[in-house]
Amino acid sequence: MNKIPALSPTVLLAVALLIYPLIFSGAFYLDVGVTFLLAAISASAWNIVGGYAGQVSVGHAMFFGLGAYAPLLCYKLYGWTPMAGIPFGIAASVALAILIGIPTFRLTGHYFSMATIAVAELIRIYFGTWDLVGAAIGLQGPATARGWWDLTFRSELPYYYIFLTVLAVLLSFTYLMERHRFGYYLRAIKVGERAARSLGVPVQQTKIRALVLSAMFTSVAGSLYSVKTGFIDPESGFGILVSVQMVIIAALGGAGRLYGPLIGALILIPLQTATNTWFGGGGTGLTFIVYGGIIVLIARYEPGGIYDLWEQISPRRWRRKHAS
Amino acid sequence: MLLEAHAVSKSFGDFFAVRDANLSVGEGEIVGLIGPNGAGKSTFFNCLAGDAVPTSGKIIFDGQDMTKAPPEAHARLGIGRTFQVPATFEGMSVIDNVMVGAFLRHPHQGDARDHASRIIELTGLKAQMDLAAHSLGTPGRKRLEIARVLATNPRLMLLDESLAGLTPTELQEAIRLVRKIHEMGITIVIVEHIMEVIMTLAGRVLAFNQGHVIASGRPEDVVKDEAVIEAYLGRGSHRVRRRSA
Repeated sequence: MNKIPALSPTVLLAVALLIYPLIFSGAFYLDVGVTFLLAAISASAWNIVGGYAGQVSVGHAMFFGLGAYAPLLCYKLYGWTPMAGIPFGIAASVALAILIGIPTFRLTGHYFSMATIAVAELIRIYFGTWDLVGAAIGLQGPATARGWWDLTFRSELPYYYIFLTVLAVLLSFTYLMERHRFGYYLRAIKVGERAARSLGVPVQQTKIRALVLSAMFTSVAGSLYSVKTGFIDPESGFGILVSVQMVIIAALGGAGRLYGPLIGALILIPLQTATNTWFGGGGTGLTFIVYGGIIVLIARYEPGGIYDLWEQISPRRWRRKHAS
Repeated sequence: MLLEAHAVSKSFGDFFAVRDANLSVGEGEIVGLIGPNGAGKSTFFNCLAGDAVPTSGKIIFDGQDMTKAPPEAHARLGIGRTFQVPATFEGMSVIDNVMVGAFLRHPHQGDARDHASRIIELTGLKAQMDLAAHSLGTPGRKRLEIARVLATNPRLMLLDESLAGLTPTELQEAIRLVRKIHEMGITIVIVEHIMEVIMTLAGRVLAFNQGHVIASGRPEDVVKDEAVIEAYLGRGSHRVRRRSA
């Protein structure tokens, strides 16, 4: 009896996302839907380390990019289905996450954020000159599908449901993580690292595990992106905008909250699409301005994002507060 | 001896915050550390808790060398600590705060919750169980810190001014809580400014001044010690007292 009201927003959300393509079946709306899902997946992946553990990475594009390059590189080199590259992307991202986590998590303050920016930029520049991965031009996937396993579809519809499945898996994982010892440890580290250590929380190890998990899912997001677009270059894989978008979406919705990134993507993606459509090519620059504006607003008025804002103003919360 | 510190020194550059401090605490004791501000008792305390690594000397807990061990190893081996300024996990609820401690010995969420609930009942926080830690006042947060440490099943508890800043009634309650913890068989080392607390709780006291241990023994003897009075009131305080008499 008690569980049903708590579950109903989730059920409503799931139903809404499932039937969206049936209602808005036009190519434009489907594209917006797919873009939204991909943004929600990336930001939810970022949320594990950036939101729950409070270790703000501004270089998650490095995992996204590795995940994006791996499938198309496998196709280019061996003619495999791009799908086969996904595990390689994950493996490379995990290795990179460990490599970065070990030295930078020993430092406090903003060093981790700065280190992640630096590494992502270095990789972007390096990929831009590396012939194996197509240097500045990038890589392309199969032009026409040799079979369903190439995951090269003309319609966006299959991508929509594949992405939705991945998002569901990721959010279920995060939901379980919140209730597990690991989730409690992450939240404790976020608010009080020194106190957490004094209670026996293996801080360093827990942070690295969070970064590795986050990197794995971010890599999958990158793979989904490149398999869907059939194209990747250094800017769309490792560009700073890719990293910043994850941070902004999660922070806008509510960092460290299960549905935070989803809410953030629900607002930012339509907004971005609108500015891009209205202002055409000039809209790309406008994206930066919108991002900047959002950062200022979140930092100034509501660091907890829209999720916290909603909790403050929602009537149920109000009633509970006044009853006790 | 449960805890032994041999000639522990901690220096920052040329400045010695603690110099050649010795301490031995037997199982079941309550030992107080006193001294004026900046005497080095907090630094010494942090060395015992693993938060600071001594420049020289040795710290042995239950036969194991803990001198360079990190704080999390201290917790695992059964040394718990509170902080002078309460470091509760602010956004988390009271029960979640205590669960973070409980997870150390109870990796599964259900077991951790049961254990945390027992501790919360014991420490008198049951009514505030589901409130966010930041909504508690100072006394509540200090109590929560103690509960959180208790949840790790410590053998030794280091209390850093956990009873400071409380009203007289709250103080009596807190003293009762510390007694209760002591009766559970937990050894206690307590840093405290309030003499009332030290006199009623501690069986033995170490007085610090300028990094040195200047006196040790039964609390009623230590407070009468010339060096201790001088450390608190300043050099020449005898003369002042004589003059004003």
